[in-house]
Amino acid sequence: MSVQQQGTALFTSILVFVATCVVVQLWLLTVSMEAIFRHEARAALPAAICSTALFAINAGLLRYVFRFDRSAQRAKSE
Amino acid sequence: MDENKSCKHCGDCNPETTDDQWKKDFPVEWEGDHYVARREMVKFLTLGSGLLAAANWAGAGIWHWHHEGSFEARHIGSAIALQREGSMLFLYPTDNDPCIAVSMPDGQIVAYSQVCTHLSCAVVYKPKEHDLFCPCHNGAFELQAGRPTAGPPTRPLPRIVIERRGDELFATGVEVSA
Repeated sequence: MSVQQQGTALFTSILVFVATCVVVQLWLLTVSMEAIFRHEARAALPAAICSTALFAINAGLLRYVFRFDRSAQRAKSE
Repeated sequence: MDENKSCKHCGDCNPETTDDQWKKDFPVEWEGDHYVARREMVKFLTLGSGLLAAANWAGAGIWHWHHEGSFEARHIGSAIALQREGSMLFLYPTDNDPCIAVSMPDGQIVAYSQVCTHLSCAVVYKPKEHDLFCPCHNGAFELQAGRPTAGPPTRPLPRIVIERRGDELFATGVEVSA
């Protein structure tokens, strides 16, 4: 299995995970907006914190993707 | 043209030569294409994730800026008139928020948002049943804490804090219970 094939498999699984996180974030935003419009702001802050945590996980995975990509490029050029 | 190397579809072209040309024109392999597409999609989704997190914070921030601790006292009427009528409608905290104040038999005054927590119909006071009734779906709320007692509503009505200054009544805040 070449590095590129490994990368494709890795990126696919990361993509599925990130997409799931984005769907959860969409749900959090919906719940938060619904609560705000109902004048119940207590849900807004925990939702924002959870959403930021999910974004941090996604950003960490993106950083890993870039690092893997750089090492794959280096291996290809060598 | 060599018979063995001619194309089986048209018989004119040499498949080896056309394959070479095709590969020269489009030098990207499927594997490489998938690799780049997935990498870019992760990047795009992470950007979307950041925007969603920002939108969540913006919603929470706007709410905090508009509502937290910003309730101002508003004159809603006289206590004597309320005791005479049994109930009274008023608007609080803004002119778009209808509320209802009820004078209890023991002299206590309670007030709630008039917007039903089910589908936002206006609740009315029913002196016989001594509760707040929503005529849209036969929902009912008790008067002590605004909890739902009948019908489809599951959440209590937001309570309006009432302050009595002499014979005058003032709304001073909104309490939302779970």
